[in-house]
Formats: sequence, structure tokens, C-alpha cells
Amino acid sequence: MNKSIIVIVVSVIATVLMLLLLGSIRGNKADQAMINTVPDIRELEPRSAEWGKYFPRQYDSYMATKESDEIKDVLKKDPNLVVLWAGYGFSKDYNEPRGHYYMLEDNINTLRTGAPVDEKTGPMPTACWTCKSPDVPRLMEEKGELEFFTGKWARWGDEIVNPIGCADCHDNETMQLSVKRDFLARALDAEGSEPFDEATHQDMRTLVCVQCHAEYYFKKTDWEDPDGKEHTAGVVTFPWDNGLSVEAIEQYYDERKFTDWTHKLSKTPMLKAQHPGYETFKTGIHGQNNLACADCHMPYVREGGVKYSSHKIGSPLDNISNTCLNCHGESEEQFKQIVERKLERKEELAAAATDIIAKAHFEAAKAWELGATEEEMTPALMDIRHAQWRWDFAVAAHGGFFHAPEETLRILGTAIDKGHAARLKLRIILAKHGAPEYEGPAFSSKEKAQELIGLQMDKLVDEKITFLNTLREEWIKKASHSGKEIYDPKTEVKEFKTSYADEK
Amino acid sequence: MKKSNMMTYVATGCAVMMVVVFVTLVYESRALSYLSSDPKVCITCHTMNTHYATWQHSSHREQASCVDCHLPRDSFVKKMIAKSIDGYNHSVAMTLGTYGKNLRVTDNAAERIQNNCISCHAEAVAQMHENSERYKKFDDEVPMGRRCWDCHRMVPHGRTKSLLSTPDNLGVKEL
Repeated sequence: MNKSIIVIVVSVIATVLMLLLLGSIRGNKADQAMINTVPDIRELEPRSAEWGKYFPRQYDSYMATKESDEIKDVLKKDPNLVVLWAGYGFSKDYNEPRGHYYMLEDNINTLRTGAPVDEKTGPMPTACWTCKSPDVPRLMEEKGELEFFTGKWARWGDEIVNPIGCADCHDNETMQLSVKRDFLARALDAEGSEPFDEATHQDMRTLVCVQCHAEYYFKKTDWEDPDGKEHTAGVVTFPWDNGLSVEAIEQYYDERKFTDWTHKLSKTPMLKAQHPGYETFKTGIHGQNNLACADCHMPYVREGGVKYSSHKIGSPLDNISNTCLNCHGESEEQFKQIVERKLERKEELAAAATDIIAKAHFEAAKAWELGATEEEMTPALMDIRHAQWRWDFAVAAHGGFFHAPEETLRILGTAIDKGHAARLKLRIILAKHGAPEYEGPAFSSKEKAQELIGLQMDKLVDEKITFLNTLREEWIKKASHSGKEIYDPKTEVKEFKTSYADEK
Repeated sequence: MKKSNMMTYVATGCAVMMVVVFVTLVYESRALSYLSSDPKVCITCHTMNTHYATWQHSSHREQASCVDCHLPRDSFVKKMIAKSIDGYNHSVAMTLGTYGKNLRVTDNAAERIQNNCISCHAEAVAQMHENSERYKKFDDEVPMGRRCWDCHRMVPHGRTKSLLSTPDNLGVKEL
């Protein structure tokens, strides 16, 4: 009996203690589960503020891209550009890019996107939204990629209401980096040296940016909807089949006889380069050492005891001590000077190139006027096409002067070479047709250059302002009342800033 | 006779109940997992999430797991003794909630860690080791008289390793 009592007492005491411990362990496990809970964010949620509820620091730093708000008019700085882009939207209005926060606003405000009056008018296709908003991957998912790429820009005005944000680069459940635009994977696979499926995390820290910061064109693609109706989509495509170099991409376009537009003065079948940031970066020393965009453009910052990656994406030079100096030993001042000198070198050659190419356009126009034949002109026009393409490739790769100074200067060198070759050929044609000493007209400002190429700027601006006060307002109203929960008033830009007007 | 039979049944019942609760406890606490060397075991509780996350983002990740630095590696018996001491201390702190948001290494653990630093980086510190014998010791707890991480402050957990330092760390990321 004594034994039994001892067993009972010991068992009960041990059981009670163990149950208490069990309760404590379960409590701790519940805490752990709560800490590890994945934030509850919709798939492809376009409103960054919804992600910001769980990641306030990243969100706040993203919103701080607001601070990059100055409009820098590139055409004003070098009026030659107006002539270079005669007959193309860029001659109307072209500013340096502002912070990510303004991306959508600037796309809507630029004179290049014109003044549609309904969903079927305006100069631009839907593809112009592609890199402006996380509503784009959402629409591609909802409607299908080809449907998204079909029709005029104004078609999606009431759907695309958030500037580039969280959903463009992150998975909603794991926050892992993820590429939301399939054309990047297709291009990487077509190029072949770095298939998309083999991308490491370090590669992804570049590739999410490359969704937009790369050269592209709108590839005409015929498709049939389920009702049997034929459509033509303009699908954003990276021209990388032959490689990433300026020559390889030039060859790609030449093989396909692709032209962005026919030049208004010289009748050249032109190419427009658009920010080949990735292509250029890969050739530079930082790219060669497998640095990622995020290494310098999204440095780690510390807030109290918390360390996180800044989402205020901009120039690393704004924060040299947390970017460059992580690896380099020089002082901030030395760094600024080194980089400034790199920029000056590029600008010197770029200015030489635009001057030569603008003159070539005028001289070609004169040759046509004097009755030159197509046969005579073609070789010179091909030189103009290639010269301008190369100059554009070098300057449109934002930061190319720093990412890859050697390659950028080399490309500008070949642009100048091709430009001179064109002018030499044109001089012979002009001589043949009785104008051996012809010189193109002089112009000293953006406005004069725009007048010279026949742009009616007042009309364009008036139409734009009307569009902004009518159709644009309707878009916002529709988006905020659609019941779809896609509109966030915080994304509305309060201050109207453009190169052409101070107020709406 | 009947009564004593009854008592035996009750005693047996109690003993069985104790065993069942014990087995449940072992299962719920994942007690057996603590015998492994997997770093994930160290974040069974959330208390060390920050230490896991910072280690996982450090260069040591490829070379050394938690136990490679924090437990003795020269003998199995020493390793198990140290593991038991740490395990006991951690369990008590966790259960009674006596730990703060900033964990600090004990002198006993510091000595083990320092020994492990020296054993992996033996060649690099050989000369230092020799020199240290000739000078005043700063700290009697660790070999060489000064802790490696007094200077190498970022290795491997970074300088701020409060529980609150890695708020976005969603537990274990499989690599």
C-alpha cells in the first residue's frame, strides 16, 4: 500500500508539473507561430500602402522617392535633340526621370502620350504603361498578356492608377524577389548565356530592376481571341537574340528591318534606344564583379536597432558613405570628383555626336529637296540610323557613364564615326546636286528647334491640359469608385510639375 | 485486500498517465530534435530568431553552424555536457520568462566560442597566440586574454542583435 501511495503522489506531482510545462511550451509555440505569420496581402496587390502596413520602414523609404521631384528638361539643355527626334514624340517633351513615386504621373503628363479623348484615341499603344505600375502585372494576370498589349494607351487609364511599387518585385506571401513580367524571362532565355531559371538570389537583386531598365521595342504580334476575332498586339520585347552589345542589338533590328519612326527631315528609318541600363551595366567593372543594382541603389540603413534595405532608390552618390565606401577607401569628396569627371567626359563626346547627327539630318533633307534619289541616299541614311542609335544607346542608359565608362565612350566614338561617314556621303550628294557648301539652319533654343521641325507646341499643350482636366479626372473617378480596391489616394501627386506648364 | 488492489490500480493508472504526459511533453517540446546539430533547432523558440537571421546572412553560414562555434568540438562528452548546461539554462529562462530582449553570452560559453575561433583560424592567429603570452591579460575568461569579437564586432551576428533587430524575418528560409 505504501508503495502505491508513493507512486500515486510522485506521479500526480510529476504530471501536474509536466502539464504546466506543456502549457508554457504551447504558449511559446503560439508566439513563435504568430511571429512567423506571413502578412496577409492579396496576390498582386497594386496598392503599396497595403504592403506598407507590414513593412513600414521599406514603405516609408519608397515613399521618400518623392524627394526627387525636380523637372530637368533635357531638350532645353541640348536643342539638337529636338532635331534628332523630329517626327517622334521625344521632340515634344523629354525630361530626366524623377523618383519612382512620380513614374505614373510623369507618363500621364508628358506631351509624348498625347491627349486622348476616349479609350480609342491618342498616339500611344497600351505598352507604354508596361513599366509604370504594379497594376500592369495585375492586368496581365486578369486579362491575359496579349489582351493587355492590344489597343491604345488610353484603354487602361482607369485601371492603371498606382506608380511602380511593392508588387512589381515581391511575392505577396514570402516577400521573395520575383519577376512579374514574362518578357524578361523570354529574352534572357533567347539570349542564352544566363537562362532565367538559373538566376540566383544575387541575380534577382538585379533582374527585378531589369524588368524595366533595359532596351525594348513593341513587337507586332497577331492573335485571335476566343470569339475568333483577329487582333494585333504590340508586345514589349527585349532585342537580345544576338547578344546584349550595341552592335548585336543594331544587327537584330536591321535583320528585321525594324524602325521606330521615319525621320521627318532626313526620311531616315530611325531607331530609338530606351534606357539599356542592364546591357551597359554588364560590361562595366561593377557588373563584371557580379554586383547587383540593389548593392548600390538600395543600401542597408539602420534605424535604431533595425537594419533594412532602403527602398528610396536613386543615385548612390546621395549616400556615398553607405554605398561606395562600403568597398572603397577614398573620401566622399574624392569620389564625387571622380564621378563628376566621368560624367564630363561622356557629355563632351555626346554633345559632339548630337551636333554632327543634327547637321546630317538637315543635310539629308536638303539633298532630298534637291532631287537626290533613294539609291543615292540609302547608304548615308543607314549611317545616320546607326550613328543616332549608338549615341542614343550610350546616353539613354541612365548612369552608363558610371556603370561602364569605357563602353559608353567607345559607343559614342562609333556614333561620331558613323555620323561623320554620313556627312561625308551627303556632302558628295549635295555637291552633285549643286549645293556643295550647304549648311543647316542655326537654332539656339529648344523652342526655335521645335519651330524649325514644324511642331505646334501651343496646340499640343492646350490639348494636353484639356485631357488632364477631363479624361484623366474621369479615370481617377472611375478607379476610385470601381469597387475593385485598386485606388490609393496617397499616390496622387499634389504638385503639378512639367516642362511645358506650371498649372493645369 | 480489495482496498490494496484498488490502490495498485490507481497507482498504475497514475503512472500510465504520467508516462503519457511525458511522451506528449517530449513530442510537443520536440525534445529529441535538440540532439541534432541543425541550426533550425535553435529557433524552435522565437528568442533566437535574430541570431539565426544574422548568422544566415553572414559569411560564416557556409562554414559553421550554431554548434560549431557555441559548443566544444574537441570531445563528444564535453559537447554534450555543455549542451545540457545551455539547454537547462535556456529552458528555465524560456519557461520563467527571465530573459531580456538582448541576450549576452556567458563567460563559460565565451571561452568555448573563443577556443573555436582559434581552432578554425589557427594559422591566422598563431603569431598572435605566441605574442599574447608575453603581454598583460585583459580578460581571464578567454584564451589570449581578449575576445576576438571585441574587435571583429560584426562577426557573425552584426552589432545590433536585439530580438527586435530583424522584424521582417519570417522564420526559416530553406536554402
